[in-house]
Amino acid sequence: MPLTIEVKKAGLETSVQDFPGRYGYWEQGFPPSGPFDMWSFRLANLLVGNAPEAAGLECQFMGPTLVFSAPCVIALTGAEMNATLDGEPLAMWESVAVEPGQILATGFATKGARAYLAVSGGINVPPVLGSRATFHMAGVGGLEGYALKNGQSLAVGDGEGIAGRHVLEDCRPSIADGGTWQIEVVQGPNDDWIAPEGIERFYASEWKLQARSNRTGYRLEGPEWIFAEKASAKGPEHGEHPSNILDHGYPVGSVNLCGQTPIILVNDAPSAGGFINPFTVASAAFWKLAQSKPNDIYRFKRVSVEDAQEMRREIDHLCTEASIQ
Amino acid sequence: MIYDNPKFLPGGDRFIEMELGDELNFDLNFLVHALTAKIRESEIDGLVELLPNMASIVISYEPDVISYSDLKTEILNHYCAMGSLEDMELLSPTYYIPVLYCDHVTRACWEDYCAKITEKEYDPDLMVRLNGLDGYDQLARIHSGTEYWVAALGFYPGLASLIALDPRCRMTAPKYNPPRTWTPRGTVGYGGSVTCVYPAQTPGGYQIIGHTPVPVCDISQSLPAFKDDLALLRPGDRVRFFPVERDEYDYVKRRVEAGNYVHNVASYAKFSIRDYHRWLDGLEMKERF
Repeated sequence: MPLTIEVKKAGLETSVQDFPGRYGYWEQGFPPSGPFDMWSFRLANLLVGNAPEAAGLECQFMGPTLVFSAPCVIALTGAEMNATLDGEPLAMWESVAVEPGQILATGFATKGARAYLAVSGGINVPPVLGSRATFHMAGVGGLEGYALKNGQSLAVGDGEGIAGRHVLEDCRPSIADGGTWQIEVVQGPNDDWIAPEGIERFYASEWKLQARSNRTGYRLEGPEWIFAEKASAKGPEHGEHPSNILDHGYPVGSVNLCGQTPIILVNDAPSAGGFINPFTVASAAFWKLAQSKPNDIYRFKRVSVEDAQEMRREIDHLCTEASIQ
Repeated sequence: MIYDNPKFLPGGDRFIEMELGDELNFDLNFLVHALTAKIRESEIDGLVELLPNMASIVISYEPDVISYSDLKTEILNHYCAMGSLEDMELLSPTYYIPVLYCDHVTRACWEDYCAKITEKEYDPDLMVRLNGLDGYDQLARIHSGTEYWVAALGFYPGLASLIALDPRCRMTAPKYNPPRTWTPRGTVGYGGSVTCVYPAQTPGGYQIIGHTPVPVCDISQSLPAFKDDLALLRPGDRVRFFPVERDEYDYVKRRVEAGNYVHNVASYAKFSIRDYHRWLDGLEMKERF
């Protein structure tokens, strides 16, 4: 009998995602989407014996309660959400066999913010333009375009699971319990719109993550920005405010300056607009964004393009069978 | 201006922003799209996506396949081999879109805004007044009297910024402040010197002048035009609006709802910069439709 998962409680905003998300439609305004913490996501898939790309669930802040209709293997990684299977604590970072009718319940995230659930065979919603990732702002992909709702059911593909495996301690992201995070950034593309004192201030300051943050953008609170002369001495098509620039494309991860408010543009962000991007977060630091909570503090650290690429490579190397025992 | 030497700016570990110039200028935007087409054709290993906009292109790449500096060199080589702007041609499909001008949707949006947000002048009246027109008929005639160039998409999925190719048909309009909370899908708006068709029901800031039943974005992919795409337009395409009466509008609406509307597109159409410049030079700018 094919496996389905019944959604008893959807959680705060639980969505189907696949790795790396939807590519090829960015120039029409469709962002890549995909799992925010791609490190934890890929390890969950590897644990149950799936390809790292397979579709799974991203659970945000408060996870779902799910019932499984047939035997399968699951793994939960990322944020701690006090998960239980039929009331017994469920070990994280491990692949676990599930019997028909068993109930997986998760609660509020106690450490980190986003947990990832992989199921042997992968979630089998119909792919839209080559991906199962949910982009809920426009209702694309995932389960009927949006986050899960109570009472829905999810189809799962065929796949033999492997239970009883775990991720080696050293190969997991070390998700801290709130506090301060170091986020690596590459300077640019529009760093020359900020005065040298402003650049220095960005690296020297603490930035607080605001509550109005989600998969489209992370709003930060911090000191005033100091603009370079270029930001005021410009043609009218660049707009009035020093942070305005002629419409241009937005790299995923860019620190988009909207007036005085920096917004880190993440997986579901708009592809273009008329504000400057003085810095860009390294893709290897995205898992830290994904696992932080409102009021957490960011300190930004400058790295070179090559350093950021090397960091990304290191995480890719950890998302392989070698990390699993 | 168009820079003598384009700027390459890093955007983290997976993106390069290439700036070709720093102004809103049709020739510059054409150059952006001609280069985008050329890079796409060349199928550079490790290149993932191209995101062209007004005067720049954001290029995403796979750093394990190609390095930042090698990609920059390859792109610069393509740019330098492009030759003179005057010789450039670009395949530019033209989409024909029927519009019911100053219609029930235009009025409903305005009434909704006045009731919920604040009183404002009726959008078509404001467009007529600010652009020195003699009425709604001329507004429709001018808006539909030119081809539009898809300068970029973005901000919202499927939302295209359309620029009038005939300078005699260029209008200007202030944006709503504060913005509208409700704009139905298919609404035709004008803001700054750009016109657009709203791809979905969204908030909005452009003045409203009409409505089309033809979708420019369809996430259900129910119409043939959306078989391989969610959005109709790509940068460098063209759009031509044509005015229709209510009967024709209702007919098209029924076809769309039945899932058998066929979008009207001339996909053979090429755009030549030399021919365009020649035509511009011969225009009598004081004439108005």
